[in-house]
Amino acid sequence: MQARTHKTLRDLTRQKAQVIAVAVTIALGVMMYIATAGAYQNLSASYDATYDRLAFADLVASGGDAQAVAQAALDAGASEAISRTQVDPPLLIEDTKLLGRVISVPSGEHPSIDDVDVIDGDYLEDGVTDQVLLERHAAETFAIGPGDTLEVFAADGWATVTIAGVVDSPEYLWPARSRQDILGDPHAFAVVFAPEDAVAAWFAADPNQALALLPNGASDATRDQVSDAMEAAGASSVMTQEEQPSNATLSEDLQGFDQMSKAFPALFLIAAGVAAWVLLTRRILQEKPVIGTLMAAGARRGRVLRHYLGQGLWIGLIGSALGVVLGVLANSAITTAYTGFIGVPDTVIQNYPWMIVAGLSFGAVVGALGALGPSVTASRTAPAAAMRTQGTAKPPGAWSAFVARQTWLPTSGRMALRDLVRSKRRTFATMLGTVLALIMVLTSVGMLTSIMQAIDIQYEEINLEDATVVTQRDTVGADALAEVDGVAAVETTHLGQVTVVGQNGSYATALHGFEPDTRMHGFVGLDGSRVELPAEGILAGQALRDLLDVEAGDTVTLHTEAGDSDVTIAAFLDEPIGTAVYATNATAASALPDAGVDTFALAFDEGADRDGLRSTVTQIDGVVAYQDSRAIIATIDEYLGLFWVFIGVMIVLGTVLALAVMYVTMAVNVVERTGELATLRAAGAPLRRVAGAIATENMLATIVAIPVGLVLGVWSASAFLQTFNDDLFTLELRWAWWTLPAAALGVVLAALISQWPASRQIRKVDIATVVRERAA
Amino acid sequence: MTPTTTDAQPDERAERSGHTEPSVRTRGLTRIFGEGDAAVEALKGIDLEIASGELVVILGPSGSGKTTLCNIIGGIDRASDGTVEVAGEDISTEDPGRLSDFRRDHVGFIFQFFNLIPTLTARENVEVIIEMTGRGDKGRVPELLEAVGLGDRVDNFPAQLSGGQQQRVAVARALATDPELLFADEPTGALDLPTGQQILALLQDLNAQGRTVIIVTHNSSVAQIANRVLTLVDGRIESDETNTSPAAAADVTW
Repeated sequence: MQARTHKTLRDLTRQKAQVIAVAVTIALGVMMYIATAGAYQNLSASYDATYDRLAFADLVASGGDAQAVAQAALDAGASEAISRTQVDPPLLIEDTKLLGRVISVPSGEHPSIDDVDVIDGDYLEDGVTDQVLLERHAAETFAIGPGDTLEVFAADGWATVTIAGVVDSPEYLWPARSRQDILGDPHAFAVVFAPEDAVAAWFAADPNQALALLPNGASDATRDQVSDAMEAAGASSVMTQEEQPSNATLSEDLQGFDQMSKAFPALFLIAAGVAAWVLLTRRILQEKPVIGTLMAAGARRGRVLRHYLGQGLWIGLIGSALGVVLGVLANSAITTAYTGFIGVPDTVIQNYPWMIVAGLSFGAVVGALGALGPSVTASRTAPAAAMRTQGTAKPPGAWSAFVARQTWLPTSGRMALRDLVRSKRRTFATMLGTVLALIMVLTSVGMLTSIMQAIDIQYEEINLEDATVVTQRDTVGADALAEVDGVAAVETTHLGQVTVVGQNGSYATALHGFEPDTRMHGFVGLDGSRVELPAEGILAGQALRDLLDVEAGDTVTLHTEAGDSDVTIAAFLDEPIGTAVYATNATAASALPDAGVDTFALAFDEGADRDGLRSTVTQIDGVVAYQDSRAIIATIDEYLGLFWVFIGVMIVLGTVLALAVMYVTMAVNVVERTGELATLRAAGAPLRRVAGAIATENMLATIVAIPVGLVLGVWSASAFLQTFNDDLFTLELRWAWWTLPAAALGVVLAALISQWPASRQIRKVDIATVVRERAA
Repeated sequence: MTPTTTDAQPDERAERSGHTEPSVRTRGLTRIFGEGDAAVEALKGIDLEIASGELVVILGPSGSGKTTLCNIIGGIDRASDGTVEVAGEDISTEDPGRLSDFRRDHVGFIFQFFNLIPTLTARENVEVIIEMTGRGDKGRVPELLEAVGLGDRVDNFPAQLSGGQQQRVAVARALATDPELLFADEPTGALDLPTGQQILALLQDLNAQGRTVIIVTHNSSVAQIANRVLTLVDGRIESDETNTSPAAAADVTW
């Protein structure tokens, strides 16, 4: 090994703790990159594998003559097209009545589009009409499987069927009834795949959907061409794969991974670069005489430059190699946990060589960039100047002079204030560590608190009903429901699927009808004020404005199977979840087809027994479906469980980032001032006072950085949140009152913890040796 | 310098110099650095007494152990063996916290390279010691700086002071806690002759006021101002000489 390589390794060993801190920061950055970018790729690949295997439809058209629409799709370039029937009838599973979904599939053979994956039991036997396949989520919710029975509310009453198998469906990997109903009561929705003949017999309905597959690698133009052809053939709406509710919901999640795989590793790598810069600058200052000697002996500038750049590269490579190993392990763990949690049938775990090369390169580049400035300084040092060990002290600046006049402050306080500008590099690094940690924590926490608050608003201020009950037409009146013990109020409502057609497009959504003075729904306008239901016309979720390019006062068409009706948009609503449209019962009833059911919204007494009410109400004759609005919260909590883990990890990593950077800067602070500290100790100043003075100085930089970190953290959180906003979510950054103070306090605590090693370092200072050394 | 004896007993020496009360007493003082084959014995059983009010120069070539001896007596290093009593207190076995208290209460240090805090003014460099140790009177700081000839420079930063002026600040800082013993390790090592003479004069004045002053130097000329000169060679006291008529600092040259 060459002597200078020996020197590099020994130099790094001498600053072991600081080198480790920088390397760990780089390792975490690279690990996050490999883990999140890899998980993003793997999850995308997992979905794609399932979608490909089960022939997930590229386009789903509703309305019109489905067979003609399917034929039009084939004629326009689709590689495959089929028609099927989809109906949303009440189901009775165990003792629970719910509004389910029945989808027709061929018996004896799998559908060629939107196939199902039988995970338990068997596929439907050829020719049978009393068997169904049950989608996995419902099977898990009700703990039933092959051989069990359930009932479908057909045109002529309840039909009992046997479950032949439990299946996964590409359309219901996330069990969303519609784009407006992505977070539902798990006991209120179930998907059943039934034989085509049975569906036709139960509902006396012709196929109402056409599904199309596009050729592999089809362009957007081909997709638009097929879509247009389907509409031209009579389809009232055509939904793309991207718009499909389950896929859209999961894509939102994947998008989060994509964002994270770029933003968070960048924070760590920036922090690591700055820490490396501080560390190596100190080393080079310390080694000025050595550099001078080398150059006096004829060493060329390029060689000196490469030598010190090499130190940064080594740190970067050590950190990134560790990060790659951890990242590969984390990638596999995240992908497996995620696909397991969501229930994606195919799990693709792959490590991407280009990603590993990129991770190693990031670490090496960060290390080298951190070392670049100090290395250039070293290589430009004139030998004679380098060997003059007595540095030229700079005269005090305006800040020092100003602080010196503040004699009301204790001297140690003035010392701390002046130290802020004594080593701007060090102060900058400490502040940057603080700022980056706050950005990381606030971005993560902001996302969680905003989603939680959005849910609170949605279910505390907007969706005010406790339950929705669907009854057979004219069998159960509102009065009967109002008499149930625990029910405080009952209102008649309407609910149905519509396609809102504007001048520049259409959007499939839910139309809710309420009484004009309803207590079951709070309507909040874009300016935050209360809005009344218009006697005529509709209220619409704000995303519709951009989706259809419409404004309040414009007329749109509500398209349903019952026909079209033109209505005016009276106002837009600020609703965090979903983009629905609302009207009075009268308007809704005229727009929606007659489903043969009555729908009621129920409000409960405070503290009512919700399970008991579900049981009582569903046992009433004529009740065909029941949905507990608040049970949704349990689903959300389950969904948010992953978020909590994510937030916890981010807070831990943010703390590690803050600790690592602050540790390096504080250790360098102690090293740079060993002479002063030893002098104070020699004079009899107790260790705690000396350590306290240094801690005050270090903490000051942290405290100064906190407002900057809070501002940038809030901005970053807001920007991050905006990337999630679409027709599914309209999220605004909202904080609990304690969030910002807690984040600031957390960073202060991290900074305080990082004082501990600095204090140990001061304790270890050999006073006798140091006081004889000339300050470097 | 007029050497009178080379091997008198410690009590005898103190009496002869007119300083009867021993301020420093060491017995069998040994200091070993490193272990095993790499062990270096810097002090080899030093027996020494320094009376209160003496101005002692510890002279010796590089590596003779003079600074090590000074550091152990001053409580910033520990002996490997033997005992050290300073101002009646046995500091050989004190823990670091007690040693810190000992230094605060009894000792002041002046170093070759001043070790001033560059971000503090002259006044603040002295004040910070009082603040940190909790000993001394901040109100006396201007007086201390006046006494070392820096009355008009109290608000200057180290970068605005010459080397000699910085060393004066270091002297004032050493006096901040009003110590009985003043240690100066190569106090003129980083100074030119006139400035060095001024610092030596200052130390002589402080000794004249009753403080025990111990100067460590390799410069034999500095020894002329002392009333006692200990010469260390290879970790042992080679000579211990009393100077009955010390030279004035202004007359010393090197």
